[in-house]
Amino acid sequence: MTTTVTPPDLSSSPDDGQSPFSQRAELVGRLTGRWVGAILIALVIFSILIMTRGANPLNVFSEAWANTIQSPFAMQQALVKAAPLILAALAVAIPARAGLVNVGGEGQLIIGAVAAAGVFQFTDGRVAGPVLIILMVIAGMVAGALWSGLAAFLRVTAEVNEAVSTLLLNFIALDLLLFLIYQPWKDPNGTGQPASPPLQDDAHLPLIGDTTVTIGIVIAVICAILVWVLLKFTRWGFKLAVAGGNPEAARRAGLPVNRLLMSSMLLGGSLAGLGGMIYYAGTEFQLRPGLLATIGYSAFLASWLVRHRPLLVVVSSVILAILIVSGDSLQIDSDLPAASINILTGLLLIAVLGWTASPWFKKKGSES
Amino acid sequence: MIFVDVLSGGVSGGTSIMYAALGETVSERAGVINLGTEGCMLMGAFAGFAVTSMTGSPWLGMLAAAAAGGALALIHAILVVSRKANQFASGLSLLFLALGLTALYGSGYVGQKINAFDPIAIPGLSSIPIVGPIFFEQNILTYISYFVAPLMWFVIFRTRIGLMLRTAGERSEVLTVNGYSVVKVRYIAVVTGGIFAGIGGAYLSVAYSQSWFENMIIGRGFIAVALVVFAAWDPLKVIGGAYLFGSALALSPVLQANGYEINQFALDMLPFVLTLLLLVFLGKRAVNSSPAELRRVFDNARA
Repeated sequence: MTTTVTPPDLSSSPDDGQSPFSQRAELVGRLTGRWVGAILIALVIFSILIMTRGANPLNVFSEAWANTIQSPFAMQQALVKAAPLILAALAVAIPARAGLVNVGGEGQLIIGAVAAAGVFQFTDGRVAGPVLIILMVIAGMVAGALWSGLAAFLRVTAEVNEAVSTLLLNFIALDLLLFLIYQPWKDPNGTGQPASPPLQDDAHLPLIGDTTVTIGIVIAVICAILVWVLLKFTRWGFKLAVAGGNPEAARRAGLPVNRLLMSSMLLGGSLAGLGGMIYYAGTEFQLRPGLLATIGYSAFLASWLVRHRPLLVVVSSVILAILIVSGDSLQIDSDLPAASINILTGLLLIAVLGWTASPWFKKKGSES
Repeated sequence: MIFVDVLSGGVSGGTSIMYAALGETVSERAGVINLGTEGCMLMGAFAGFAVTSMTGSPWLGMLAAAAAGGALALIHAILVVSRKANQFASGLSLLFLALGLTALYGSGYVGQKINAFDPIAIPGLSSIPIVGPIFFEQNILTYISYFVAPLMWFVIFRTRIGLMLRTAGERSEVLTVNGYSVVKVRYIAVVTGGIFAGIGGAYLSVAYSQSWFENMIIGRGFIAVALVVFAAWDPLKVIGGAYLFGSALALSPVLQANGYEINQFALDMLPFVLTLLLLVFLGKRAVNSSPAELRRVFDNARA
């Protein structure tokens, strides 16, 4: 089909380099300055707060540095957590192109993991590992897509705001998970907290070399690149940006806006579902309470941190994953609750949301 | 009797959501949605519990809770009103901040006992069959809430302040034309929302469960936000919605107390499923009556 509409957003998008190079360089410089400033302010406030709890911030940071950044094991842990984080962040970034707010990463991850575990539960070891992995991938992606698709469907049919519905679906997914592992799928041989039976060994995702990192991170990065290509170079990506930039114009130009909204959410949800499957079959091997521990919410922030640009999502997700892992260091080395690290995450986001908007983002990013 | 227990639990459990949803109504009437309501409740729950524990006075606790909820909401106001940040993203960032802050300062309070608000039966009224045990064997904060919602309705729809609030959410340029500051009205509205959310949170820790633990709000703030939508931004309709969710939340403990063998988590889903269903069936009509400036926030991409 031919369309003569120029999307307002693409003209101001950072990727197509319409501004002269010098101007661009100046902008990059100013933005970098603001970013560094934002991070510093967040760190200073965080330091003051932990000082009031009797911790020495310098010690805390050096311990966290030594036991996270310099620890191969901790960095591997961060990469393990980064895989579902990247995929769930892509589930935020794609619909965001169409102007949709998907806060349901957590639920879509959980339901992906539940579906994968469900396939194992159903086949009960009668299927060979590789086949089971393929089945679990399909199940995870379909489940994730259904979860986000439901929110998208309610949005286009009943005008239910997708930010609210995806949030509610997070809690429904969590309760479903808990329901299953406390009763129908409870591992009869398990001790301690309830969990589903462990996944058969030959269906574990392979590890990279002799590390503890699964191929999940590779899959996640490949997905990010594919999404980048899809959004930047395909007709679908172009139409999505048009629909997100000016839906009325898009509709008048004959674009199927509702179908575009639906497809962006379905694709996003399927990626998050894949993320849940990867975390289950690569890392956890069992469903348990607190399986994903707010990774899905971190993913929402990861996508916002870089204003939904798929390649940068990889970077921001890895940074947030490192922060999550360093929370353990806070707990172990400095006797501060691990959840305290959320302060830093929150402050960082506040600084970035409020004070790093550039002229590039003005049209899209600053629109409330 | 189970019926009465569920409804009575619904009133006492729903009060927390009611306070938060009433606050969110004010904020949204001015055109600002605050997903950080969950975070404001958490801050309130913690501050209320901590100050009650330190001073022995639950009233001082409530004051601290209101201040803590309002302070967090102030950050939201700065971000979305002054800095024009995305409202959904800002709200969730605040939730993270609140999760972290309350974990950092709250670890010492887990498992503590405090001088809390206990239920007081109102002589006479509480002996009315059915109605008595449901409405008149509650704690003082619940009794206060019976007056807050109608009062808020009156302020929003019958006073000059309410008119300014609604104008900020419907056609903010009218305020500007008449020499009022939209920014000021929105700041006040958002902070008021946070104050009420803080009280709603403290209701949970100081009156309802009388304890503090990490992340104790578990979604009630999000329910409150959804509730405001299908209550069509009307404080009086918020009452019914809040009790409905309270009852859905109370169902599982009541059934268990009465010896029914049920999986608690299947029932925990209920309030969220119910919210979603109500949004589907009442949503469209409600959205049509939404404040115009809020609709702009909701309709990033008009479906």
